[in-house]
Amino acid sequence: MPTPTLTQSIVITLIQCLLVVIFVFVVVPLTVFAERKVLGHLQQRLGSTRVASGHVGVTGWMNRGMWKWGRIPVLSYWRGIPGLLADVLKLILKEDIIPTKADRFVFFLAPSISMVSAVVVFAAISFVPGTFFTFPVWFPFVGGLPVSGGIADINVGLLWILGVATVGVYGIVLAGWSSNSKYPLLGGLRSAAQMVSYEVPLALSLLAPVVLSASLNFGEMSARMATGMPFWALVPQVIGFLLYLTCGFAETNRLPFDMPEAENELVAGFHTEYSGMKFGFFYLAEYINMTVVAALASAFFLGGPWLLPFGLQGLLIPASVPFIGQPHAIFFVAKIVFLLFTYIWVRGTIPRYRYDQIMAVGWKYLIPMALINLLLAAAIRCFAV
Amino acid sequence: MNKFLRTLIPTDIAKGLSITGKHFSQVFFTANRRKVPFHIVSEYPEVPVKVQPRYRGRLTLLKDEQGEIKCVCCLACEKICPTQVITIEKGKKEGRKMPFPVRYDFEMERCIFCEFCVESCGFDSIILNHQFELASYNREDLSLGTEGLGQNMFVPSPVGKFSVADD
Repeated sequence: MPTPTLTQSIVITLIQCLLVVIFVFVVVPLTVFAERKVLGHLQQRLGSTRVASGHVGVTGWMNRGMWKWGRIPVLSYWRGIPGLLADVLKLILKEDIIPTKADRFVFFLAPSISMVSAVVVFAAISFVPGTFFTFPVWFPFVGGLPVSGGIADINVGLLWILGVATVGVYGIVLAGWSSNSKYPLLGGLRSAAQMVSYEVPLALSLLAPVVLSASLNFGEMSARMATGMPFWALVPQVIGFLLYLTCGFAETNRLPFDMPEAENELVAGFHTEYSGMKFGFFYLAEYINMTVVAALASAFFLGGPWLLPFGLQGLLIPASVPFIGQPHAIFFVAKIVFLLFTYIWVRGTIPRYRYDQIMAVGWKYLIPMALINLLLAAAIRCFAV
Repeated sequence: MNKFLRTLIPTDIAKGLSITGKHFSQVFFTANRRKVPFHIVSEYPEVPVKVQPRYRGRLTLLKDEQGEIKCVCCLACEKICPTQVITIEKGKKEGRKMPFPVRYDFEMERCIFCEFCVESCGFDSIILNHQFELASYNREDLSLGTEGLGQNMFVPSPVGKFSVADD
């Protein structure tokens, strides 16, 4: 296998970045669409089936056409997809209003911080251990070279991910502050308090896999958690998974912990004054953050690119089994998609907590449970491994 | 202790998730099959709405088997109507013992569809029909009666062209 030169490796990295960006921008709109459909199904509705509501003009023409196509069984389910396109068009074409008394630079900076801190995390996530695919020989410039499963193989990957993801709080707080209006400020402050307090149990529940696998490298951690764990490591993994998922909901401001944009009390939370593509960036960042949290959960608790979750892969399926014994990126993506579905499922089921209840759950239950879980993991690491 | 255990083990959440999950799977797997839909809403403009039997639509005068108006002008509906949209003029007709409504006017623009008139009627001579689309482009379409061109108290209102299904 030829070793790439510096330029070649830079090109390969750029191609990886492109692939990740494509992945993100395929998954996020589909999640937005799935949110409408799944929330509808949970409430025994059909979800989105048309563009706008018109029967005149362009949307009316599209609606009539879609109603005709909808007689074909599978197409009828996807009639709402053009609505997604219309949403994106609206976000791009809308007038970008900046309040007169807003701090213009910070007002501009806040969505960028949110977006960047959400996307950059993907650099450290490895989708599959080792080689993802090899370029065919006829490919120009990089033919015959392997592409690894992650962009950057950082040996403190988890630390880096947590650090960068935390910067996302700045986006929300700065957005709330720079709008110079009371509702965004309240929303920003509430979300800051919530995210800071849920950062602790999130990190503590992620410490259990760190202790069990004795590594901070993303790929190595997911490999050891999936294949190299003793039977008793199941317990801290299951508890840790539930804890991590709860904190993940809170970190991404999803509905049971939807403090920053509490639809009942605050106007729209921290992004009240935002419009156009700046609001679109917050929207995108929220969904990308969901994908990141789902990716971490599936990598460390659900077995990552291996088939079975909670370390059952190493206990039940030996590596010699042809397809399901080996890691595949498709298992990883399937788990991410399932967790994204779980996000919407939980949103459609559980009503929103009150602010003091959120703080009570975070500090009085989640942190002690995460600590006990960590103790358990440490004991298993000490005696069983 | 019991409460503490219930806090630790989220059985309530699991119960809720199972219910909503059941709804989701039922609707998801029947969404494409028109015969057995599980979703409780209809795609309104394209698919006509199936209204419940108790649905309160527009006020309609009824006729008996001989084609006679059943109304006997007791004015109970006119008296009980909270918005006073009914106006009845008592009259006589050849070969009819009971009084005959020469005029029976109904201003639908002010009607609140409370069904008091139907409840108060002792002769079952009026009903609220099951017409769903009552909106109209003209105010004149909303004043109904039994006289002249406005002989529309017996038939459903003309429907404005709103929906894709009309094409």
